[in-house]
Amino acid sequence: MSFQDYTPDQEDALQEVVNIAMGQAGSALAHILDSYVALSVPRVRIVSAQDVADAVAEMISGTREGDPEQMTAVRQAFFNNLRGESIVLFGAGGCDDLADLLGHDQALAQEETNEELLLDVANILSGAVLNGIAQQLETDFAYSAPTLMARGGSVQDLLNPEMLGWEYALLVEVNFSLEARGFSCHLVLLMPETSIDLMREVLDRMLEAL
Amino acid sequence: MSGDGGPDSELLEVIVDRVNVGVLVVDERFAVARWNRFMAMHSGIAPLEALGRDLFELFPDLPRRWLTQKLRSVFLLGNYAFTSWEQRPYLFRFPHNRPATAASVDCMRQDCTFIPIRDATDRVTHVCITVTDVTDACIYQMQLLDAMRRLEEMSVRDALTGIFNRGHIEARLRDEVARSRRHGDPLSVILLDVDDFKRVNDRHGHKAGDTVLREVVRRITGNLRQHDVCGRYGGEEFTVVLPGTDLPSARVVAERLRRAVACQAVETSAGPIKLSITLGVAQLDPDTIDHEMLLDRADRALYQGKRAGRDRVMTAADGC
Repeated sequence: MSFQDYTPDQEDALQEVVNIAMGQAGSALAHILDSYVALSVPRVRIVSAQDVADAVAEMISGTREGDPEQMTAVRQAFFNNLRGESIVLFGAGGCDDLADLLGHDQALAQEETNEELLLDVANILSGAVLNGIAQQLETDFAYSAPTLMARGGSVQDLLNPEMLGWEYALLVEVNFSLEARGFSCHLVLLMPETSIDLMREVLDRMLEAL
Repeated sequence: MSGDGGPDSELLEVIVDRVNVGVLVVDERFAVARWNRFMAMHSGIAPLEALGRDLFELFPDLPRRWLTQKLRSVFLLGNYAFTSWEQRPYLFRFPHNRPATAASVDCMRQDCTFIPIRDATDRVTHVCITVTDVTDACIYQMQLLDAMRRLEEMSVRDALTGIFNRGHIEARLRDEVARSRRHGDPLSVILLDVDDFKRVNDRHGHKAGDTVLREVVRRITGNLRQHDVCGRYGGEEFTVVLPGTDLPSARVVAERLRRAVACQAVETSAGPIKLSITLGVAQLDPDTIDHEMLLDRADRALYQGKRAGRDRVMTAADGC
């Protein structure tokens, strides 16, 4: 596949879109979770299928989730013209600490309850970020239901290039943490191939409108 | 929430009402603003009864704290939200549509989607909940899991006798060797063989031979202790793994097995057949490298027993 990088202007515009979106997401989440939510500066770049696992693992190694070998992951599709998947990566601790914030019973003895909490948290984080991005791009995403992708798997297995089915994708990454809860997780958006070009058109229209 | 008239919106009304998916809409106070036929049919609550009523009043059994927070997140974030039957079997307790064929499922399994509805100023004023009946998918999955369980069970069992097959008993022995090394518990193994089995087959036919093998297994398993594991090692050869058992105790078990087989003739379609078994017993010791070597030592004891006249127990300590 022929592949063309974004121009510096396009890159700046995209980073700006993502930054604003994350800011909105952060305040919306703080509201709903009733806690201060810290977000890392989002990373935006185009990656090849070969490199994506390393890129994500590298970012995770520096955070509280720690071990990129032991991740619990929830995935979810989003689509309109742009389409992609969001993956929320939890560390070994999962997100049991957030149970009460989402109205789950504290007793998480049952695996189903624990799983639903993971799905709920992932859905809220992805939804907040993607809504923010959609608003900036003046569009609107539809979403699939989130599903559990792995429990205690490695990033390399989750993002195994042979399973990915694309060569290049637009990667957006951000790290969330709730200091008061000692919780953090990592959100990855992947928009493969055609979405890279579509995004380019959207960015160009935005730049022209300036 | 009302349409703006015109044929299209009338058509949409009909579709939303008749579609085979539950559609309900609530406002910020969780009062019902729309209630389609699916919801009415399955809940027994007519639209006129439902409209304007508090959702939690209509369904006191709803998980209030959790659902409130879920709805609140959709109002505040404007995001979609979901529930799946795999984690939460249902939101609304409805009877399912397979009353005659699905005894295993007690009520309708549901996947639900929460959709934010915005007004002209982009504020989320309502949330639409769709309820999809996924009882069939749930039943198929249960059947699939059940089939997989049975296949898994079959893959470790010997078809004729129902005890573990060679592959499984070897794997078990390998695990037990590792466990014994870790914890320092004794471990013994018995290898046993039905004496003159070829003659039984030749003289009385394979059918009688099969009956003999099944009866031998019945007598062996009936004389084992709770943690002993028995498997068919070859044609008429069987292995018993005895965790936590030293050689003298294993010898006692082996002797009990020998007597259980020899004490009484086996009734077959070809008449009663008198039988005996020979058993080789070995205990894991520091010189025994692995489970194969342990089996090999039991096998050599068994061979000694055969040479010494069959129908006896021989231990690896008896000079072999």
